[in-house]
Amino acid sequence: MEANYDPAARRSWLLRTLQATITITVIAILYPVARFLRPRRAVVSGALEVVAPYKPKELLNAASKPFDFAGKPCLLVLLPEGAERLAQGQPLRADDVRAFNAICTHVACTVTYRRTEGDVFCNCHDGVYDLEGRNVSGPPPRPLEKYNVALRGEPGQEEIVVSRQS
Amino acid sequence: MKLLSTIRAFVDERLGLDVLQALAHKKRVPIHGCSHFYYLGGMALFLFLVQIVTGVLLSLYYKPSPDQAFESVRAIMTEVDFGWLIRSAHSWSANLLIGVLFLHLLTAYIMRAYRRPREMTWVTGVLLLGVFLAFGFSGYLLPWNELAFFATRVGTAIVGVVPVIGDDLLLLARGGEDVTGDTLARFYALHIIIFPLVAFGLLGIHLFLVQKHGMSIPATGHPAKAEVGALCSTMADHEHRVPSMPFVPHFLLRDMVGWYLALALLAALSALFPWELGTKADPFASAPEGIKPEWYFLFMFQTLKILPARIGPFEGEVCGVLFFGLCGLVVLLIPFIDRGGKCRTVLNVLAAVAVAYFIFMTAWSWFSGAGQGALRIMLGSLLVAVVIPLLFPFTRPQTAWRRAVYASFTLTVIAFLCASGWELWR
Repeated sequence: MEANYDPAARRSWLLRTLQATITITVIAILYPVARFLRPRRAVVSGALEVVAPYKPKELLNAASKPFDFAGKPCLLVLLPEGAERLAQGQPLRADDVRAFNAICTHVACTVTYRRTEGDVFCNCHDGVYDLEGRNVSGPPPRPLEKYNVALRGEPGQEEIVVSRQS
Repeated sequence: MKLLSTIRAFVDERLGLDVLQALAHKKRVPIHGCSHFYYLGGMALFLFLVQIVTGVLLSLYYKPSPDQAFESVRAIMTEVDFGWLIRSAHSWSANLLIGVLFLHLLTAYIMRAYRRPREMTWVTGVLLLGVFLAFGFSGYLLPWNELAFFATRVGTAIVGVVPVIGDDLLLLARGGEDVTGDTLARFYALHIIIFPLVAFGLLGIHLFLVQKHGMSIPATGHPAKAEVGALCSTMADHEHRVPSMPFVPHFLLRDMVGWYLALALLAALSALFPWELGTKADPFASAPEGIKPEWYFLFMFQTLKILPARIGPFEGEVCGVLFFGLCGLVVLLIPFIDRGGKCRTVLNVLAAVAVAYFIFMTAWSWFSGAGQGALRIMLGSLLVAVVIPLLFPFTRPQTAWRRAVYASFTLTVIAFLCASGWELWR
């Protein structure tokens, strides 16, 4: 036994044990902290369809206030043809109304409808989309996500149903 | 390896790491009978770090408004991964920190570490204890539960009995006539901005002074080292001749054992006894039964409970509050009051009475229900058993004093065991 005794080896073993202990402690502390930092699961609905909170005669002002569709702002635009039809007291058609995911494809600002220019505009970096949601000028790299619009119910009192693929 | 040394050289040239390294190597820690008391400061610092880390984490999810505070804490406890652990660790380490600080204060007093030139180290330490008690009080309200609401109402009402400026202090503390959302916002700001700034400032001074003056060596020291002290004419001389060890790595590794003990205790308490949340505060409901503050305020709480409505021409409450204010002032000014001789004897007797009073009142208030005498004895004897070992370094082995310390320690342990046995048997 005496012949095998090597204080240097014992010391380095002790040192390694200490380093291992400290490493394990640090991991044991960091693991719950990292898990804690991960956000909670989002509490937004995964709805594929929603009834817009506007009646046809409120549609003229609907674009100024996007509403919540599955956690994202939904921009509802009444086309000039639709506005004319409503002014003449004719029933509204589904293709008179456009619905978009209002989050700009550039850096995620919320876009707005400009009635005078007849386009959808992003105030953050001057991105311009047409009323089909296509990116026509400025920095946006992709078109806006376009939702389907359907009308349900009696003419004049229709519900505007907005739906998406998935 | 070459890369590492290049980085080191780069950083060293700009930040001067060598100076820090030289400082670390220069620092030495004296070895004597009371050396173990030094670990309490390191433990307190470690627990404060735990408070900072867990507090910052909690602030990521906590929402300070009466409508959302309770719900956000409940979400932390139930929805966020390991939220229960982080919150429990925050609450438990706050309590352990106060306990360690009380012991740190007591041992510093026992060693008379406040002697010239270390008066300001003592004063900043006592102020730090005050800040940490305030931390505890302000943090208690944040979950906005029933217990916290009434504890805050009572606690702030006590401020209101201070003569002359009481009413203004009350308004200032509550941010209004009553405890409302404004109080919550105020306590939140105090808890996460103002008190931390004050604590960092005071702690900086405290630690700087500890470095500047070195660690204090008790005047009596270990009996075996007494002759070393007797040979020295001045204090500085005395301090140089006491055996010492380098701070890095000798003391640091020992200090780490203290941190590990604290961490193990904290992890066990948090995992086995997650902190409760209670029910949401309703400002118009009656106070719930058995309402109590945190344990470190219990001695004041119990005193105010038993004081008569009037003492002579004064209200009982006013006397109590002024008395505790005076006690705090005396503790703060001990370095300037202790003039040696009879003065010190009086101080020592007062300190012993204060510790006994603290233990007795805490145990009394903790179990104030009927038929809980045994539990009261259990808690009391446990607290006494924590305090008695502090006396070991001051008694020589094989003397009557050492035997008396042994005997009283044994007696408290027997009292604890008997009371526990009685509780179990019933």
